[in-house]
Amino acid sequence: MDFRSLFTRKSKSSNIATQRLQLILTQDRFEVSEDSMKKLQFELTEVLAKYFEFTMNSVKMSLKREGNSYVLMADFPFNQSKKNR
Amino acid sequence: MGKVIVITSGKGGVGKTTSTANLGTALAMIGKTVVVVDADVGLRNLDVVMGLESRVVYTSMDVIEKRCDLDKALVKDRRVEDLMLLAASQRNRKDDIKPEQMQEVCEKLKEEYDFVLVDSPAGIEQGFRNAAAGADEAIIITTPDVSAIRDADRIIGLLQHQGIDSINLIINRLSPTLVKKGNMISKNDVLDILNIDLLGVVPEDTGVIASTNRGVPLVHNDGSPGAEAYIRIARRMTGQRVPIPEMRDDNFFSNILNWFSRNK
Ligand SMILES: Nc1ncnc2c1ncn2[C@@H]1O[C@H](COP(=O)(O)OP(=O)(O)OP(=O)(O)O)[C@@H](O)[C@H]1O
Ligand SMILES: [Mg+2]
Repeated sequence: MDFRSLFTRKSKSSNIATQRLQLILTQDRFEVSEDSMKKLQFELTEVLAKYFEFTMNSVKMSLKREGNSYVLMADFPFNQSKKNR
Repeated sequence: MGKVIVITSGKGGVGKTTSTANLGTALAMIGKTVVVVDADVGLRNLDVVMGLESRVVYTSMDVIEKRCDLDKALVKDRRVEDLMLLAASQRNRKDDIKPEQMQEVCEKLKEEYDFVLVDSPAGIEQGFRNAAAGADEAIIITTPDVSAIRDADRIIGLLQHQGIDSINLIINRLSPTLVKKGNMISKNDVLDILNIDLLGVVPEDTGVIASTNRGVPLVHNDGSPGAEAYIRIARRMTGQRVPIPEMRDDNFFSNILNWFSRNK
């Protein structure tokens, strides 16, 4: 473990709490198991990967409350385009 | 015609009863007519926090079971005009009351009073459902920690499902010093996560404990940060535009510590 990371913003307990909450709430709101969510992320990535090259680990999905409903947010950071269509 | 506002949280012990007592008192001090309703059947506390326990004769159960008229069951707070308490029965259980019965009581009260504040029990079961049954609006109380915010999120979902559109948030027991140190979730992070409208922020205030000991809501002794926060929230509830101030961390020692850790 990097000693200096103890003093950076990332390791502050409030930031850890916020990150944990975001994960917990996404699961609570989806009302699906962690497994199905991983599977969904994987399948979505597979479809998109036909067109783009992705860094799979960094796919992030969340549900954000907007008024009375939720908006599904998915971040698919990618390296480069495979095909040009 | 007034409105019924349920004050609820999901998680226990985050300040629902404290907030009901203080907002009810503050609203009455502004000149509104107010009833605070204890919906925590079997574990009533609002009477004690308001210092009215010795004068409670009848409860909402007596009204529902037609042992007494609604007007007669209301206990008048003598320290301020137009503030009444409807106590909960201590001998009954939460499922002895049905949501429709609570709703009927609330409907009658809002014909006569500007604000009917319902102090909800913790949890998402019958007690909560009863408390929310007659509500036009909701105030969610949360403290800035993972489990309280998680439970608040659940409650918001349930209230929206019930068709309550106006749901506002109060963040209670925020400590600017801890936020600054990075040991407490900040106001903005709570808002970002829950994404509902903020009604106000109440700081951690040791005066709350003394006021509960005495049975005199904090807002009677203005000047304390908690009292000022509740008074501002009450004014916002009446439609006044009152800005939400950024909380200052005026702990000199922690400022110094912070300066050091920032400059490492
Ligand atoms: N802003 C505050 N600063 C300091 N202490 C507080 C604050 N708000 C509440 N408390 C304390 O927290 C405790 C719980 O408060 P309260 O009874 O209002 O919570 P509650 O949500 O009604 O609990 P329950 O779920 O059991 O009904 C009390 O001891 C109270 O004095
Ligand atoms: Mg309570």
